[in-house]
Amino acid sequence: MFGLPDEFTPGFLARLEKLRIRTRQRYAGLGRGMHLSPKRGSSLEFNDYRHYSPGDDFRYIDWGLYGRSDKLYIKLFQEEEDLLTYIFVDASASMAYPAGDRKFESAILTALALAYVALASGDRVMLRVLGGQGAKVDPSFVNGRHRIVELARRLRDLKPAGQFDFANSLASELIAIRRAGKVFIVSDFLMLLNSVTRGLGMFTAASMDLTAVQVLGGSELNGQGLDGDVEVVDSESGERLRVSIGERERGQYRETMLRLTREIKSFCLKRGLHYSLYTTDNNFQNFFVRAVSDLGLAH
Amino acid sequence: MGFLYPGALAFFALVPALVLAYLARERPSRVTVSSVLAFRALRGFRRERFGGWPRLDWMFFAEALILSLIVLALAGPFIWSSRAPLAVVIDNSAAMQALTPSGKTRFEIAREKLDAELAVQNGGGEISVYVTAPQPRRVAPPFTTLTEARFALTQIKPGDAPNDQTTLENFLSNLASEARVATVIFAGANALGAPIPARIHPIAVSDPVANTAIGSFTLRREALGAEALHASITIANFSPDTRALELVVTGDGKEVARAKESLGARETATLEFPTLAPARIYEARLTPEDALALDNVAYATAGSVRNVSILFISPTPSDADGLDSIPGVEVSAKAPDAYSPDELGSFDLAIFEYAAPKDLPGVNSMLVMPPPNDPVFGFTVAPTAKVEIAGWRTTDSLTDSVNFRLLSLRGGEYFGAHPWMSEVVGGDRGALMLKGERGGHRFVATGFNPFPYLGRRNLPMSVLTLNSIGYLAGLGASSVGYRTGQPWLVPAGVERVILPSGKKVAARPGTLFTDVSEQGVYELLGRGAARTPRAVNLADLTESDLSSVPLLKVEAPSSSSAAPPVLEKTSLADYLLFAIIALTALEALIVYRRRRVIEAP
Repeated sequence: MFGLPDEFTPGFLARLEKLRIRTRQRYAGLGRGMHLSPKRGSSLEFNDYRHYSPGDDFRYIDWGLYGRSDKLYIKLFQEEEDLLTYIFVDASASMAYPAGDRKFESAILTALALAYVALASGDRVMLRVLGGQGAKVDPSFVNGRHRIVELARRLRDLKPAGQFDFANSLASELIAIRRAGKVFIVSDFLMLLNSVTRGLGMFTAASMDLTAVQVLGGSELNGQGLDGDVEVVDSESGERLRVSIGERERGQYRETMLRLTREIKSFCLKRGLHYSLYTTDNNFQNFFVRAVSDLGLAH
Repeated sequence: MGFLYPGALAFFALVPALVLAYLARERPSRVTVSSVLAFRALRGFRRERFGGWPRLDWMFFAEALILSLIVLALAGPFIWSSRAPLAVVIDNSAAMQALTPSGKTRFEIAREKLDAELAVQNGGGEISVYVTAPQPRRVAPPFTTLTEARFALTQIKPGDAPNDQTTLENFLSNLASEARVATVIFAGANALGAPIPARIHPIAVSDPVANTAIGSFTLRREALGAEALHASITIANFSPDTRALELVVTGDGKEVARAKESLGARETATLEFPTLAPARIYEARLTPEDALALDNVAYATAGSVRNVSILFISPTPSDADGLDSIPGVEVSAKAPDAYSPDELGSFDLAIFEYAAPKDLPGVNSMLVMPPPNDPVFGFTVAPTAKVEIAGWRTTDSLTDSVNFRLLSLRGGEYFGAHPWMSEVVGGDRGALMLKGERGGHRFVATGFNPFPYLGRRNLPMSVLTLNSIGYLAGLGASSVGYRTGQPWLVPAGVERVILPSGKKVAARPGTLFTDVSEQGVYELLGRGAARTPRAVNLADLTESDLSSVPLLKVEAPSSSSAAPPVLEKTSLADYLLFAIIALTALEALIVYRRRRVIEAP
C-alpha cells in the first residue's frame, strides 16, 4: 500500500495511529509536540510557581494564591515538544539466515511500524542502519506521517551483509546523534552477551530511553532445520563448527538459544529498558499489537 | 534350505555399494547459519567416533537388511518340507444319484465317508479334489486346508452323465503313480479290483440297489410320406425279482402311447410303437418309480416331418427337377452364391451338387461330385471320363435293391481315402460313393451325378437316389441319439444352446459342445427364431445296473509300494516379501516423523 510492505494494511495503520511512544524521561525536542519537555512552556500542564517580576504576563498570576498570601506568584507551565526517536536496524549478515525465516524483512517491518507510530504522534524519526549493503539510509530526522513511505523506500534496497562490532558501532552512533531521545534497536542480538550488554549499556549511560527488539527466525530457535552431521558456518565470522544434530542436540540447541534471549531480557529489565522478542513464524501484526507495552509504546 | 536361482546371490555385492552410498549421504553437509553461538554447546561428532566415521544410524542397518532380503528373495529361497499331498476322487456319475435304503443317495453316503477318511489321511499337504464324470477333472486348484477341501466337496453334485470306465481306470492308475501324490482316496460306486495299489484308499458305495431303466429311445420313419413315427424303447429290470412295468410315451405333453410289460430279474425288452402321432418332442416315462429316477425317463425328438424338404444347392439348379417329382419330397433349389447356412434350419436335408459348404452343415447332407480339397470335408478326387464300378456293399441301406452292374455312367470322379467317411461303392481307381457321420449328422458323397438319370429310364439310379434320400432323411433307420457326457459338434447357424435346466450357453458352429452333463431336451437356437430340439439321454444300461457294478482295474508301478512321504519345496519368498514391505513401511514412517519434528516450529 503506497510503497509500504503488504503487512501495512489500512486496519493495521489505523491501530498504529492510536499508539504513541512512551518514555521514562523527558527529552527536549526540536519543535512543538506531544511529549513533555524539560523546558517550561505554555502547555496546560502546571509545573511550578515563581515570584512575579515586572514584565511578566498578568494572565499567569495566580490570583487565588495572592489572596491567601498577599504576594504575587506567576504560574509556570510544562513545555510540550516532539520526541527525537532513533531507530537502529541491524543489517549484518546474520539477519539473512536462516533464509526461509525472513528475519531481515521482519526487522524492517518492526522498524517501519515503530517509525510510523512516532511520525503519527508528531515526533521526529531518525533511521540508522548497522552494517548491510546497498543504498545508504540518510541519517537525518524526518517528521510527518507521510515520510514513512520515504523511509520504506530507503530500506527496500538494503541487503543484510557484513559483520560489525555491536558495542563499538553503537558507541560511534551515539557520538554521531548527540541529542538524547528514544532509541529502538532492532536486531537478532546473536553475539556474545558481553558485546550486547556493553552496547545497550552505553545508551543508558547517555540517559537515552531504549527499547531492544530481538528478531529471531522460527526455525532458528529449533535447530535451523538441521539434522545429522553438519558443518555449520557462521554467517558473519565464517567460523566453522562440526556438529552432530539429533533429537537431543536439537533440544540442547533450543535451550541455549532461549537462555541467550533470557539473559538479554534480564539485562534490559534490570536497567529499566524495554525488551521484546519477535519470532518470525508468528503473525507480525498480532505481535506488534500485543507487544505494545514491551515495545515502550502506549495507547 | 536351497535356492531356485542361486546366481541372484551375486547381488549381495550391492551391500558394500549401499555402505558407500550411505557414507556419501551421511557426509557432513556444510550449512551457513546466522550464528554458531548456540551450536558451540553441542558436542562435536568426530571426536566421539572411531576414525571419524559417520554416526551409526539404525536406518543404515534397516536399509542394509531390506537390500539383503531383496537379494535373498530374488534368489528364490525354499525349504524342503515333508508333506503328504492328498488326491480325493469322488464319483459324480449318474449312478451316484441312486437312493439307497437308508434314504440317502449313494453320493451323499460317499461324501460322508470321504469326509471321515479325509480327517484320517490328511497329512498337512495340499488336497486336490477330482470328480469323475463325464471325464475325470480337478474341480479347483489344490486346497491348502482341510476345511477348504471339505467345503469344495459340499459344492459338488452328481451329474446325469455316466463314467467313462476306461478313462477312470487310467486316471486312477496315473494318480497312483504320481510322485507328487502321497495318498489317493477314491469314493465311488465302483469297487477296485485286486491288487489295490497301496496309495489308493477306496471307499466303495456299491451296495446293490434294485432299479428299472429305459435303455434307449429311438424314432424312425418307416417310409417316405409316412406321417407316423416308429418308436423303439428298450427297458431293463436290474432287480432280483420280476417287475410289472408300465411305459407311457407322451408327444408334446400329450399321451401318444402306453404299454405294459412284465420283466423278470435282469431281463431287457424292446417295446415297439409303430404309429406314434407326430410331435416335436417325445418323452417316455417308466413306472413305478425306483431308486434312480434319472433312467426312468428318456426323450426323443422327431428328426423329420411328413414331407422331406430338401435344399438343393447347385450351379445348375435345374438338376433338381427330377427330385421334385418324387412323392413326399419338396425341393428348394439355390445357386451356391445365394446359399446361407442359416437356411438349413428349415430343411430336413441338403444336397450340394458340384459344390461344398463352408461349414459343416447342421442337417444330413449329400454331396454330389464335390470340388476337391474343400475346407470342411477335404475330399481328394480324381476326375475321370468314364466311371467304372468295381464293387459295393450289399448289406448297406444305400445300396439296397440296386444292381450297379446295370448302371451306365459317363464322367465322374474317384475319391481318395477319407478320414471319417467309408466307402459304399467303389470303382477301379477309388471310391465312388462314401458315407459317414459327423457332428450327429449323416453325410453321403457321390463321385457321379445320379440326378440326370432319374426316372424309369434308369431304374437302378432312381432306387439309389431314393435310398440316399431315405437314408439321409432318417427313414428306415434309427435316429441318432445323443448321450449325456458325450460332446457334439455345434451345427452351422447355431448361436446359443438352452440346456434342459434352462441355462443359456453361447455356442460356436463347428466347435465341440461339452456342456452335456444334463439329461433332457436341449434347444439349439439359430439366428432369428430358428429353434431345433435335441434329446440327450443317459441311455446307458451299464450305468443303470445298480446291482452288479463292475470292478475298476487300477494299475500301479508296484502294488507293494507304500505311500512315500512327499518332499515339497516351500517357498520363503512370500515371507521375505512381507518382511521387506514391513521394514520399508517402518522406515518411511520414521523418516516422516523425523521430518515433522524438524519442520515443527
